[in-house]
Amino acid sequence: MRFHFSLLLLVMAGLAVAFVPLPVPAITPQERTFEIDAHQFAYSPSELKVNTGDTITIQLVSADVVHGLYVYGYDISVEADPGQSATLTFVADKPGSFRFRCNITCGAMHPFMIGKLNVGSNSWLYRSIGLAALAVFGVTVSKKPKA
Amino acid sequence: MKRAELISRILIVVGILLAVGAPLFFWARTPLIHARMAEDGGWNPDVIQAEVGKPLHLKFTSDDVVHGFAVGQMDMQSVDILPGKVTDITLNFDEPGIYTFFCTRWCGLNHWRMRGTIEVSGSSSDPEPATVPLYVSLKLDLDAPHDAPVVPNGKPLAISGQSLETNLPIDQSAEYYRSHSPYEVFESLQNTPLTDGQRWNAVAYFWQSNTTSESLANGRQLYAQNCAACHGENGAGNGVFADDLVQAGEASMQSMSGAMNMMMQAPVDFTDPRRMLGASPALLQGKILRGGMGTGMPMWGSIFTEQQIWDLTAYIYSFQFEYEK
Repeated sequence: MRFHFSLLLLVMAGLAVAFVPLPVPAITPQERTFEIDAHQFAYSPSELKVNTGDTITIQLVSADVVHGLYVYGYDISVEADPGQSATLTFVADKPGSFRFRCNITCGAMHPFMIGKLNVGSNSWLYRSIGLAALAVFGVTVSKKPKA
Repeated sequence: MKRAELISRILIVVGILLAVGAPLFFWARTPLIHARMAEDGGWNPDVIQAEVGKPLHLKFTSDDVVHGFAVGQMDMQSVDILPGKVTDITLNFDEPGIYTFFCTRWCGLNHWRMRGTIEVSGSSSDPEPATVPLYVSLKLDLDAPHDAPVVPNGKPLAISGQSLETNLPIDQSAEYYRSHSPYEVFESLQNTPLTDGQRWNAVAYFWQSNTTSESLANGRQLYAQNCAACHGENGAGNGVFADDLVQAGEASMQSMSGAMNMMMQAPVDFTDPRRMLGASPALLQGKILRGGMGTGMPMWGSIFTEQQIWDLTAYIYSFQFEYEK
């Protein structure tokens, strides 16, 4: 019975670590502009980090052929010819990590032309560290009586 | 009865086969034209035969990246050619001659080399006499240095020049505007009581009054599509290919035996007043029409119409003058 109770406690703690909303630090949304240089077959910079609620403007500059930029999750895209840079403006209202990729066929390695948009802090990293710590703790505790 | 049924069955099958097969047969007979980056061969085939009055059916596909298709000096919407897709185009030619078709989406440093010709045979219903471009009739040397010895301190303002210009001795004809550089017009105002700055403003207004907002808008669009990749979106000669052109300079020189002066160069900076204020519209027309002869500047004469080139020159001067919005 005691064992069952402690297991229940452990599971509750695990759920709490996984799902309890973190105290969100009050960050005033700001406007951010990124100039992304697109060339075969990469973006630079290829990783963007913004806070939730920020208004993001991406200026896509193509350096060789026609490239695009499509953001998963947000389902928005922009296309730029060399010499005609294009801008994409949106509000990053969905937290998480999103891939963006070239959506205009730009050559043989086109499918590998990807980048990443991080919106908000990566809380799942900390949560999973917490869960792992909890699991280790649980295993060590449950093993003690037998030894 | 059985016999009649058999015949009707055969007729139906043959009819269906014909209805489906005949268009497919004719579609398959149209050769597929492959588009590749110029480095990998460009258009294949790059010479197409056609006849006046007969619609020309073409099929295009791309083997690498996004390309586009348009025929020079023809009033047509350019068509995108995408890898893995077949694009059908039907063209009609009213006049015989050799037409140039070209890629309309930038596909690398040598994008502009991606050109081909359509040879249209037949008889002309209304032969137009060929006209000589203005730079030829003026006997301009396109490669001679043409720097203005004096330049204004800032961007001349057309709006300030407007009030001054009304009673100035400037020839208002289009020929005068086209054959004179801003510096020459500035010099012609020497005997007026105006200050240097006022004279430049008057020149700016004179340049503005010789163009229209439609012409500028058209020039801006042509510039963005065809020029900005090298000359830069703001005209500063720093487009995305500018560095590549300079780098290609040495190599391209070796490939052209004997022509030491003719190698890929850095694109011209249109914001440089010395160079631009010393150039007349006719000179710029010549440079655009003929191209840079091995410098990396393409020849646009077979692609742009005369009006399009004038629109472009008008737009290029707007990097020097502050026009009214």
